[in-house]
This record gives sequence, C-alpha cells and structure tokens, in this order.
Amino acid sequence: MASQILPLELIDKCIGSRIWVIMKNEREFVGTLQGFDDFVNMVLDDVTEYDISPDGTQKKSKLRQTLLNGNNVCMLLPGGEGPESVQ
Amino acid sequence: MSSVVQSDTKGSPSAFLKAIVGKSVVVKLNSGLLYTGILQCLDGYMNLVITDVRESSGIAGSPITSTYGEAFIRGNNVLYISAAEAL
Repeated sequence: MASQILPLELIDKCIGSRIWVIMKNEREFVGTLQGFDDFVNMVLDDVTEYDISPDGTQKKSKLRQTLLNGNNVCMLLPGGEGPESVQ
Repeated sequence: MSSVVQSDTKGSPSAFLKAIVGKSVVVKLNSGLLYTGILQCLDGYMNLVITDVRESSGIAGSPITSTYGEAFIRGNNVLYISAAEAL
C-alpha cells in the first residue's frame, strides 16, 4: 500500500517555503511559513495581505512576521503566489 | 516522522508569542479594525493587553479614529498579530 500522508504533515513539509492562505471570508495571505500548531495557527514572514472587495478589487498590505489565527482559515496552497498569479 | 510541530519549536506560534511581548505590534480583528500599540501580555487564547493603542479602520493609510492608554482584546476577535518592528 502506498504510504499515507496526514494533512498536517503536508503543511509541515511547507515550513520554510511560500504558502498562500485563503480565509473563510474575503481575505487571503501569502507568506513564508515558519511554523504552525494543531489549530493551524500559523507564523508567516514577509506577508502580503489581500482584502478582496465585492467588486473584485484587491487591497494589498505588507506585514512583517505575523501570527495568523487559524480560526478562519479555509485553504492552504503550498508554493502559492497569491491571487495575482491566477488573474 | 508522524508528529506535528512541537509546542515550542523555533518559528512556532507559541515561540512567536513569547518573542513579541513588549514589542510594538499590529493587531487586526475579524471586523477589520486595526490596533497598533505595545504588547504587554497575552495568553494561549490570544487574549491580549496592549498599551499606547491607536485604532484605525484597517484600510491602507486610513486615519487614526481613537487612541487608548490601555486596552484588553478578547482573543476570539483576533485575526492576526503582526510585529510592527523587526524582531
């Protein structure tokens, strides 16, 4: 049988690389993953925050090292370059 | 390797929280409100106390709407805690 990988193991493999975080609401973050815990709270570095308004416009802001609350996280995309890469 | 990140590994959320106590921080709430100030203390729920607080609407370049000497923020409202200066 092929070796199984747990979901959090996949995130563990992403430590040190860029990750795209999509929240439950209209917010997205891209940053270098430094660590996370069982709640998927994440420490990110060199973060860009994207606030996407209903008309599709993005508001970008830069952040330093940031602890992102895992409560509203929906999806993680390893190696993601953010919403700008898909438009 | 099956274990997830240990609680106090370098780069983990708890290590980050220890490192930013006493530093200047930016805290964004789920409502979008942005608070900057000096982080005095916090706990595992991300409840926190900040002093020299400046409140703004969170839109880039938005003006300060209020200032407080000291404020307690209940952790469930916190979207992220970000270092305002290099750690």
